[in-house]
Amino acid sequence: MPRLPERKVGLIACSGEDLPEGTVSRRAALLVLERLRPSATVTLCLPLFLAGEERERAFARFYPTIAIDGCEKRCAARATEMYSARPAASLVVSDLADSLGLARPQRLRGSDAAGEVLARAVADEVARQVDRLLAGRRETAAARQPNPTGLETEAADAVCTCVSGIPAASVVVGDQTVELIALPAVFALFREEGKSPDDAATANELMQQIKLYNAVAAEDENALREAVADEYACFWAQTAPAIGQ
Amino acid sequence: MSGEERVIIIPCSGIGKAFGSVGREATYVVTEELRPDCTETVCLSLLTLGDEDARRRVQKHPTITIDGCPTACARVNVEQAGAVPAAAFRVFDVFRRHKELRVRSVSDIGEAGEEMARILARDIAAKVDELRKGRR
Repeated sequence: MPRLPERKVGLIACSGEDLPEGTVSRRAALLVLERLRPSATVTLCLPLFLAGEERERAFARFYPTIAIDGCEKRCAARATEMYSARPAASLVVSDLADSLGLARPQRLRGSDAAGEVLARAVADEVARQVDRLLAGRRETAAARQPNPTGLETEAADAVCTCVSGIPAASVVVGDQTVELIALPAVFALFREEGKSPDDAATANELMQQIKLYNAVAAEDENALREAVADEYACFWAQTAPAIGQ
Repeated sequence: MSGEERVIIIPCSGIGKAFGSVGREATYVVTEELRPDCTETVCLSLLTLGDEDARRRVQKHPTITIDGCPTACARVNVEQAGAVPAAAFRVFDVFRRHKELRVRSVSDIGEAGEEMARILARDIAAKVDELRKGRR
């Protein structure tokens, strides 16, 4: 059976492509997800609120959510409230920069020095808010300790609720999006067991597992098998160690 | 070049998937290096919220979407904004052609991810040229 997700804090960053503070919002969210509070946070791509289904829209009803916005338009906070539920906390990068007297970033792509300093300041503030929201929940000592650099601990992968957290995921079959219970857990298990997507047997084994948790009509099975195999290949590629590591 | 001739590039910027970061990087390779004079990007989150200016831009200019996963948030949100993408790229399609390129992580796509982004960016730049030629 799929495991129920733990109580965590959801982070929604605007990731605005057209302003440097949007890049900072994304960088800050990733710092918290991967370095500062990896065991206590999960994220969701903001545009998925509209492109996704009820599961995505249930995100902020399931997790207390912190919205991290690059500018005063507050897209992350507004979208979370519009499509899911009111964020438990909200933070605007440009406001924080002004209140802390930090320089504004200039680059859209990656981080310049000002962007990196600001991203760490935003991440620290988000981590404080995470702790506040999870007050009473035991954190590891390492996670509780302030980390002046924020970059010295071993990084975890950012956890996205569409591949973890709520135990379901979608695949596209033709023109249809099909939600499959337990798919993330099945993928993780297969990945752990080293079952390559290039192995012809893997697609059939995936379908056997998926059918344990989902009703699959016989006439849909071949198309679904192909879609799941493609999605697993994508998952495999993104979770495989980089060459040379 | 007049504003009317610009092509909009919109990546999904998926924050939970490394291919989302590759798409975002490819966007900046096109808009800042390969075709800086005739391309620009729009905040997808702003478009998602129905911002009038963002909607007007994708409806007025040819728009190219880049998606990192099958949910296709960039393409779907552009369509929801009332536009038809002039082209819809998927990072996964580049990976299909270059399975030797293993992206490292969301926050650090590594050299392989950079290379994947450059390959994708060149494909997009070619599409930009094709779209602009068709509009002359």
